[in-house]
Amino acid sequence: MMERGRGHETIEHTADMGIAGWGCGEFEAFEEVALALFELVVEREGLKSTREVDIEAEGEDYEELLVDFLNNLLMKADIEEIAFLDVEVKVIVIDTPTNKFCLKAVARGLSRSRVRDRLLREVKAATYLGVSVGRDESGRTRATVVVDL
Amino acid sequence: MARVKVRQVSEFLWEIPKEGEMLVPGWIYADRESMEFLLEESKSKQWDALLQVRNVACLPGIQRASLAMADIHPGYGFPIGGVGAFDTEKGVVTIAGVGFDINCGVRTMAIDLSTEGVESKKEELANALFANVPAGLGSTGMLKLSLREIDSVLERGALFSLERGYGTPEDLEYVEENGRVDGADPSAVSVHAKQRQLKQVGTLGSGNHYLEVQYVDRVYDEEAARTFGLSKGRAVVSIHTGSRALGHQIGTDYLKVLKRASEKYHIPIREAELVAAPIESPEGRQYISAVQAGINCAFANRQAIGGLVRKAFKKVFSLRDGDIRTMYEVGHNNLKFEKHEVDGVEKKLLVHRKGATRAFAAGRREVPEKYRKVGQPVIVGGTMGTASYILIGTERGMSETFGSAVHGAGRRKSRKQALREYRGENIIDELGGRGILVKVHSRKGAAEEAPGAYKNVDDVVSIMEGAGVNRRVVRLKPLICIKG
Repeated sequence: MMERGRGHETIEHTADMGIAGWGCGEFEAFEEVALALFELVVEREGLKSTREVDIEAEGEDYEELLVDFLNNLLMKADIEEIAFLDVEVKVIVIDTPTNKFCLKAVARGLSRSRVRDRLLREVKAATYLGVSVGRDESGRTRATVVVDL
Repeated sequence: MARVKVRQVSEFLWEIPKEGEMLVPGWIYADRESMEFLLEESKSKQWDALLQVRNVACLPGIQRASLAMADIHPGYGFPIGGVGAFDTEKGVVTIAGVGFDINCGVRTMAIDLSTEGVESKKEELANALFANVPAGLGSTGMLKLSLREIDSVLERGALFSLERGYGTPEDLEYVEENGRVDGADPSAVSVHAKQRQLKQVGTLGSGNHYLEVQYVDRVYDEEAARTFGLSKGRAVVSIHTGSRALGHQIGTDYLKVLKRASEKYHIPIREAELVAAPIESPEGRQYISAVQAGINCAFANRQAIGGLVRKAFKKVFSLRDGDIRTMYEVGHNNLKFEKHEVDGVEKKLLVHRKGATRAFAAGRREVPEKYRKVGQPVIVGGTMGTASYILIGTERGMSETFGSAVHGAGRRKSRKQALREYRGENIIDELGGRGILVKVHSRKGAAEEAPGAYKNVDDVVSIMEGAGVNRRVVRLKPLICIKG
């Protein structure tokens, strides 16, 4: 029996921080990990998005796709000078013959200049250390990654 | 049981004996207490710095030993505090040995001011520094550059900032590599990486990066201190930052490239980020030239901040440019082509230092002429509110660690644990009570960087000196600390 619900959390790591997200399927799990990432960067409670950015990612498996997704969020946030508050994964395409995983998403947030007092820290990168995408005991999809701070 | 076996070689040196796929032994500088801590982590935790030392020892072309300085803690593929030197013909380059903050390092400038001089206008100085040096997430530098100008940053390093009016030509004499390395190829760096940097040259960043006004609290080696222009009670300022988002993006981009290369060249991937390419392969060469571009970017960044810091001091005190002298600047996340003697033969090696500082002994031509008789200054950044050290390299260091030193205290508690145990406000108040003025852009950041989250820097430095690898010159204590 699969449990309902989705969520995210941070996990201990000596120098840096682990983040995890879970939900029904990869779409929700990826969105939740992204929320955990955003919460490292900005106190997002009560803030409303005013801007939208398209995000794409690719990889050879779900793990690579997740790391690329998070790193592209970090990259776009810098280039667009935006603090992301939420994200919606629109499609994940798996091309079996070439073993290529692609993702498209829309991330929403607001200009960093408007929330300077709510910004917490920089995240350098999402890493491959301990990255995993799989099912937990209750049948939910769980995605975990360590970020370098 | 710990996954790695160690044996004690001497009081402060431990060895992972060469076995199985290891090509060289692992050497770790530690006292008994810190080795027990590492062994405990090796038993119970998913992260294991000792296993990382062992894994690095398996990489093709590694010379002498896979090394870890006394500030060792778990990193990504390489331990932090890790040093690995590779034969340039048969060896590999690995992204794990450089990390995401390419050429992160410290510049220390000696100021013609006493501790009392700083104390007399402390608040004013702290405010001037806080206002002059952009720090924290989302901050932008004074320089707003085009993609073309970023290419120039990547090729020219500190010279770029100097030409834009930041700092003085004398600064460059006292920067490692004179603030610019050859071989940087801007075309090896992605447009995304450059876009992230357009407004970030001259910004401090956040996390463990800082700007500290300090004073010389203790002198251990009079001659070396005098040579470096340091004396008891003298004020100095230290800038700790790196290549900013450009470096992070190079790391992210090349992680994929080197992962494919590891598969292509049949280099077993023993840990996710420990991916590598032969130095002489197209992928290896391209990555190295991207790192060299990142190294130059960090040089440009510290040169720009050095200029801003000088302006702040001049605003508050009646000082001239020459009264604020760059003592030295040295990186601690680096790749360097260096010549070292291995088994009695001089060889050109590619040395990876991940959270480790170059520490050349007296006589090496890389050491500024004025310092060559005593050796290269090594800047060891303490934790917020604790001591920092200036060390020098020794001959023993040259023959054991390829001339390397620690880079800081080394984290002991996770950020999460630090957040549970400390509060930003309390730390700022507590340090204030000890006479240290702390200004932070993020209070949560302050809690994560609490002194208690790190090993004791005095112990770490004592281990290296006890092992004969580095020697203490002076100890610095903080007066003002500014963080992102």
